[in-house]
Amino acid sequence: MTASMGFPDSASTPLVPNTTDSDDFRSAALPADPASRVVKLEPFNRSEALSLGVELELQLVNTHDYDLAPYAEDMLRLMAQTPLPGSVVPEMTSSMIEISTDICHSAQDVITQLSPIREALIKNADKLNIAVVGGGTHAFQQWHERRIYDKPRFRELSELYGYLSKQFTIFGQHVHIGCPDADAALLMLHRMSRYIPHFIALSASSPFVQGQDTQFDSARLNSVFAFPLSGRAPFTLSWKEFEAYFERMTRTGVVRSMKDFYWDIRPKPEFGTIEIRVFDTPLTVERAAALAGYVQSLAAWFLQEQPFEPTEDDYLVYTYNRFQACRFGLDAVYVDPASGQHMPLRDHILMTMTQLEWHSEALNATQALGELRTSVEANRNDARWLREKQGKERLLAEVVRQAALRFRGAA
Amino acid sequence: MNLTSLINDLLGFWSEWLRPSAGLPTVMWSLLLAASAASGHLVQRYLGLPKVVGYSIVGAVVGFAGFEGAIWPLRGISLFLLELGAAVVLFEAGGRLPLRWFRHNPMVLVQSLLEATLTYFGVLWVLQLLGLPDPVANPIALMAIVASPAVLSRVIMDTRASGPVTERAMTLATLNTFYALALGYAQAGLIERAPQTLLQKLYPVAVVLGLSFVIGAILALALRTALRFMSPTSESTSILLLALIAAGAALTAHVGGSAPLAALIGGVLLKTLNPKPWAWQRQLGTAASLLTMLMFVLVSIVAAQADWTLPVASVVLAVIVVRLFAKIAGVAIANPGSGASWKQAFWVGCAMSPLSAIALLIASNFTTASPLLGTMITQVALPSILLMEVMGAVLATVAIHAVGESSVPWAPQAFSTTEDTQR
Repeated sequence: MTASMGFPDSASTPLVPNTTDSDDFRSAALPADPASRVVKLEPFNRSEALSLGVELELQLVNTHDYDLAPYAEDMLRLMAQTPLPGSVVPEMTSSMIEISTDICHSAQDVITQLSPIREALIKNADKLNIAVVGGGTHAFQQWHERRIYDKPRFRELSELYGYLSKQFTIFGQHVHIGCPDADAALLMLHRMSRYIPHFIALSASSPFVQGQDTQFDSARLNSVFAFPLSGRAPFTLSWKEFEAYFERMTRTGVVRSMKDFYWDIRPKPEFGTIEIRVFDTPLTVERAAALAGYVQSLAAWFLQEQPFEPTEDDYLVYTYNRFQACRFGLDAVYVDPASGQHMPLRDHILMTMTQLEWHSEALNATQALGELRTSVEANRNDARWLREKQGKERLLAEVVRQAALRFRGAA
Repeated sequence: MNLTSLINDLLGFWSEWLRPSAGLPTVMWSLLLAASAASGHLVQRYLGLPKVVGYSIVGAVVGFAGFEGAIWPLRGISLFLLELGAAVVLFEAGGRLPLRWFRHNPMVLVQSLLEATLTYFGVLWVLQLLGLPDPVANPIALMAIVASPAVLSRVIMDTRASGPVTERAMTLATLNTFYALALGYAQAGLIERAPQTLLQKLYPVAVVLGLSFVIGAILALALRTALRFMSPTSESTSILLLALIAAGAALTAHVGGSAPLAALIGGVLLKTLNPKPWAWQRQLGTAASLLTMLMFVLVSIVAAQADWTLPVASVVLAVIVVRLFAKIAGVAIANPGSGASWKQAFWVGCAMSPLSAIALLIASNFTTASPLLGTMITQVALPSILLMEVMGAVLATVAIHAVGESSVPWAPQAFSTTEDTQR
């Protein structure tokens, strides 16, 4: 299940890699001599501009008390029997799996690929008497009960990172977007950074952690912060400078490959894309596809209109905006990096959607953006849906059960 | 002076000066339970074995020593306590019996029917081969169908297990308990009547099932009503649940149904009426644990009262081996298309080896119905139950660890490298 369409330079490589968040850890022993540690960054492969790829990390829960259940191996065995687009791979702990699309060209393409994968997941989950659920966190799982998926690499990582690896039982959506060349990728990366709060607020679906309401709409990203080299990418707009930065970092011995960076957005040279990693996994694949459509429309706007030049100063408010979006979701305050103007994030999201109308129409993403727009106008995201269910049911296990029904389109 | 006379002397001595408010048997039982709890803890901590092994060892030692707190065949309060313990476990097991799973994966049901059928006919065949008459072999074969959900759930709790093998073993154990209870209770009523026609044979099964279904349905409806205004996580709901199961158990036994079967059906119906996740297991906590511990101790005290001879031991051994083989074979033959691997099928079969309270209750029914045949049944049934309560628990633990479904490493806690930190 690999992808090649639209990516002639990486014909044998999928747009969405068969790797996971957990592959981003660093574990191997380092050479003693700093000079011998230097690794050259691989060249930025060609890809079709504005092509898309989506990865979704999903939860496997039992149907009795709706806690996470270690069924990844069984699920992968059954999924391998069904011909599907994209791929299904294991994740760090045995209650997680990751699905991904092949190369897509529109939000419509994404949902066309994700739908049969979802149907197969539901069918196989029913066969195993489990359920598949979206959401950025499981509402009440206890991290210490998680088991590392039985794979040498995951065991090594677990030994290196201890409890952090089990606490990394969080579920995100990654969106890859094809860029015309390496410099354009960096330019797009830093432009896209201004919209990180938008992505967080729109996808937020992790208000509950370890049985408690965290008061955050997206508490998942707080777990990512525990790892070194998280957060923002360094401000370089030329690939040559970025290569030099990468080589300096490898000399320190802290970094050995691009996988060691788990920035919010990072370049993916082997696929010729940038990868946006701040989304919580939404509760439905339809919303996941809509979010991909939003990213693609933004990218089209950047490429075709060059609407602004990113600067290092954009990052002065980056962490504050990111925190606001995680904490308050659509109710956050957004500080415009260029003007310093404070405004409701909701308004800024609606404003960008208006700016993107023409591009979304050209990309066949009007319906996707329309759905997102309606939810923003109603001040609703998945975190709010989860809180409303908990307010009514007063039982997080029941919230997870209803979220499982929502994933299969029955709630 | 042997151990029995020593205990009798001690009891006589104590009764001279000890005047407990609730009577000497209460003191004895309390001390016995205290010793069992400590033994269960030590067995787990220093040997890495499930706690139920410790409970059974204490019960067996006291039973061998001639403790008279539980006389076979069971009657009165001891019989009720056994039924209540089994009913609590089966109510919960019934709530975990996922009927919709069988619709999506009918091979699980085929696995269940096949392992139960093979077990019954396998054990019947070996007993006939060893010369036991049919009226004795048949009840023992029926008892052998049961894979104790009580032992299995305790092992799951001790190993903090979850996963495909754990879930499937528990489901199959609940299903075969259902078959064995319906058939066992019905046949006990016919043991001395020798029915001729199929209708005559099926009628008592229908009566036992029907009565148990009515009580189970009342139990489910009562709880469904309570859950409309009570939280499943409330302690009050747990107490209400226990009290209703106790009332249901007493009532079912009185009208001629099977108390554990009624509880099992009640659990299934409640889950069907109220698909929300069950959150009261954690609340039931200590009360349910005490009840199930009492059940294991009682089973081993009674089972230890059997006559242990070499011929009996060889029959028991043959029953145990054939039963284990039949369960593994049944699960494995129907495994293709069931979503499990061959390795998982093998370990599911092994995890279903425990025998305990349900088998004892079925044996008790036959003994009460026919004291003469009951004695012969008891000779094989009781040692099998005692052995498979202990060995079955160990084998189930091995199975759970072999497939990596335990959340704790299989090392005695005292020597474990990972600390279980408590607040």
